[in-house]
Amino acid sequence: MLTDELKKGSAEFLILSLLEAEARHGYELQKLIESRSKGVISFHVASLYPLLYRLEDRGWIVGRWVEKPGERRRRFYRITPAGKDTLEAQRDSWREFVAAINRISGVRYA
Amino acid sequence: MPERPVSPDWRAEVRARLASAGLRPQDEAELTEEMAQHLDEQFADLAPSIGSDAARAQLTAQLRDSSLDEAISRRRRRARPPAARTWSSGSIWRDVRYGLRSLRRSPGVFAAGTAALALGIGLTTMMFSILYGAIIKGLPFDDPSRIAYVSYNDPRHGVIDGGAPLGDYQRFAARQRSFETFGGLYRATATLTGADRPERIEIARMTAGVFEMLETRPMLGRFFVARDNQRDAEPTAVLGYSVWRDRYASDSAVLGRAIRLNGKQYTVIGVMPEKFQFPDEARIWLPLQLNASLAPGDGPSLNIVGRLRPGVDYESANVEFRGLMQQLDAERSTPTTIRPVVLPYVRATMPKRVYTLLYSMLAAVILVLLVACANVTNLLLDRTLRRSREIGIRTALGATRLAVVRQSFVESAILAGLAAIVGTALAHIGIVLFNGAFPAAERRFWMDIRLHPAVLVFVVSMAILATLVSGLLPAIQSTRLDVGSILKDESHSTSSLRVGRLSRLIVAFELALSSALLVGAGFLTKSVVKLRNVEPGFVTASVFTAQLTAAPGDSLKQRAFFESVDRELNALSGVEGAYLGSGLPGRGLGSDRFAVEGRTYQSERDYGRTRTLAITPRFFTTFGVHVLKGRGITADDRLGTPGVAVVNEAFVRQNFRGGDAIGRRIRLGGGESKLDWVTIVGVVPTLYTATIDDPFPPAVITALWQRPQISSVAVAVRGPADVASAPAVRKVIASLDPEIPLYATSTMSEELRAPMWPLQLFGNLFIVFGIVSLVLATIGLYAVMAFSASRRVRELGIRMALGASGRDVIGLVSRQGARQIVVGVTIGVLIGTGFVRLIRAVLFDVQPNDPWVFALVVGVLGSSAFVACLVPALRAGRVDPVIALRSEQ
Repeated sequence: MLTDELKKGSAEFLILSLLEAEARHGYELQKLIESRSKGVISFHVASLYPLLYRLEDRGWIVGRWVEKPGERRRRFYRITPAGKDTLEAQRDSWREFVAAINRISGVRYA
Repeated sequence: MPERPVSPDWRAEVRARLASAGLRPQDEAELTEEMAQHLDEQFADLAPSIGSDAARAQLTAQLRDSSLDEAISRRRRRARPPAARTWSSGSIWRDVRYGLRSLRRSPGVFAAGTAALALGIGLTTMMFSILYGAIIKGLPFDDPSRIAYVSYNDPRHGVIDGGAPLGDYQRFAARQRSFETFGGLYRATATLTGADRPERIEIARMTAGVFEMLETRPMLGRFFVARDNQRDAEPTAVLGYSVWRDRYASDSAVLGRAIRLNGKQYTVIGVMPEKFQFPDEARIWLPLQLNASLAPGDGPSLNIVGRLRPGVDYESANVEFRGLMQQLDAERSTPTTIRPVVLPYVRATMPKRVYTLLYSMLAAVILVLLVACANVTNLLLDRTLRRSREIGIRTALGATRLAVVRQSFVESAILAGLAAIVGTALAHIGIVLFNGAFPAAERRFWMDIRLHPAVLVFVVSMAILATLVSGLLPAIQSTRLDVGSILKDESHSTSSLRVGRLSRLIVAFELALSSALLVGAGFLTKSVVKLRNVEPGFVTASVFTAQLTAAPGDSLKQRAFFESVDRELNALSGVEGAYLGSGLPGRGLGSDRFAVEGRTYQSERDYGRTRTLAITPRFFTTFGVHVLKGRGITADDRLGTPGVAVVNEAFVRQNFRGGDAIGRRIRLGGGESKLDWVTIVGVVPTLYTATIDDPFPPAVITALWQRPQISSVAVAVRGPADVASAPAVRKVIASLDPEIPLYATSTMSEELRAPMWPLQLFGNLFIVFGIVSLVLATIGLYAVMAFSASRRVRELGIRMALGASGRDVIGLVSRQGARQIVVGVTIGVLIGTGFVRLIRAVLFDVQPNDPWVFALVVGVLGSSAFVACLVPALRAGRVDPVIALRSEQ
């Protein structure tokens, strides 16, 4: 299990990454993060929504109610151009960070 | 089958959790719906594996988690007053006042932006006024777009926009269906005698249809009617207003009186109103005599005009006339390759190169306007960035994206609106200057260059264009600002870097446009300088010039008349020389084919082409021209003595490879020439000819007195101002024959200057365009460099704290500008190269690929751009690391 500090720092990054390709709703995001991280990272209602609303307030993502025939209406989130720019910036700094850690700690990927 | 777990009522659970939050009902409903849905689905997934009770307990615990409070409070903050109605007039007015107030707070941006756009709009409006008044507006008659001109094109025989013979016209007039009124005319000059003194005036012979087409009523009397055009009709004339006023003292009893033109009597039947002009300078109109017996292709050459029937377009008129031409061809013994062309009157009668020139000039000034817009864009982008915090607050307080964008456009509209007013005033000044420099003699009768209402419509559309072009990028930028981070004042860096890249692109674009314009300006400057320094090779100071036409009739009498004129003028006391000739040097040279004796010519095209001039012996003393080799034309070269010619050096170079030309014989005219062979007896320097395309042409100079017929000559008298003048010369002529007018009086230097007016006028205009755009682009580059350097103060400070020298920093900053300069200038020079080909019509003695001009343009633009980069770079180099690090923390 990751520490809360690290998780908080990376959470925004993860959400933006998952929204880059397509719009998703809250529960979908929660499930994706859990399954893709094989359970290492997990969210619940009380930790996910503050995050989503924070990103929305910053203008990086936008939530919209979408009604599909035969389904309940859901709130889908999609990434904005500003969000994309932020995502790029975060990717760069993440790469640098990982590289720096690797250089210092001697961890190598197989 | 497992029992389906019963889902708890999550809505109720969530509502209970939110109960004490105090959210607005709608926010609460949305939050409830979103979370209840989430919990519903998660429960459905979880319950089968861990059991309903465990799942319910787990999710309820999560819902109670205190971290959810942040989500609730964020929704509470979103609660905002309802957005103001965005498009009410009150809110726009508020935007305008707000824009004015905030622009007043940055007077630099305000002044620079308005000035740049005013220059751009001013130049564009001026150029459009010229184009509109000269071409687009058309003839000053009702519905001018339907007034057409029919001309003959026969490229195989070198005929473009040619006239049509009377024989053809009569057949067209009888058969055509496209025109409701149809007529033919030709222009001539005639000597008007009677009353005080003889006068040479422009006249036009017309069919009745021309007057019908123009739909203008005569002021007195009537027009021609069809019977006036009959061969046996009584000769009649319609007077122009100025003739009626000046020669007949505005006497309305003039109708029915006789006037004498070229010695023939005509009865006055009408007087035209003051403003009436058609075609060009014609001041008396005579009926054109029709002749039903003429075959196709016979008779004098006419200009054919007509008014298209309503609903008939030019295309169908062209189709009809091509068909009529085929009928005519069938009636002819030999078929022709002529193609009749129907075009709007102004299009057909203006030289194509003037068309191209005027439209290229308009394109050039629109480029200047775009450069100005780019500058304003950069200024506004810079402002958007500086005001990002303000925009953030506005957004947070409920301004919609539309409102933010509109605010940005309102500001550029304020700038453009003010600029349109200043620009119109500038254009007005420009038009006054232009009209002053536009010689009246070159002005076609329909031209009326001023701020027409249509021009004002153009100004408004240019202002809108400027608003959109210069406001668009800042508007987009202001909506992309990241409100959250701006309010927290975290990172200015992402958005400012993005703006920086955009600004640099805009500057490269500005540099490209400016260098394109400067290439044009460079070529024209070189042309104007060359023209100013041109060495004509003959005396032009204190030379009076005029034209003289002998009374029609006996050619021996005409020759005797001119011989006495020659004698009497040269006998005037104080005269240094008086010259008679077929034309004036530098101005009135003819052009002809010629053959050199002993050479064979396969076809008409193989014959050489040369300029020609026939002179009296006093040519050499009057114009101070020295013979280089052999002899000049002398008094012994008379009718009956062997024909002689003097050629210029260019002619010797062209035809005898610079060898000896004296003694060789040449003959003017092509293969069917009936002229005598003449012997070259002397060589003179190549004299200047006031033409743009070939100022130093080969020329053959023959003896005027050896010409079998002389009916009209150019006169030049060199001497003190009281002798070399119209009254003195007129007195001499009157003493010889009181009925002969002296006309087209002028001076030699004026005669040389006159034909070069397009170069002078458009050259100067273009130089103004080039300088304005250079100034705008340099300022634009400076602003961007200064701005980007100031934004990097902290970074540069760190570099210097880490050991970079001032010089390193200067290099760093100026390298950044160098790339834009190189890219911009390269693209611009390429565009400019194409552009120069369009303005070829006004290039004097300069090749369109002259490398020096390109080098100069690159030099001027490069160095001013370099200075614009260097100043901010030097300032950056002086940054104190400590202060820099402390600032912008």
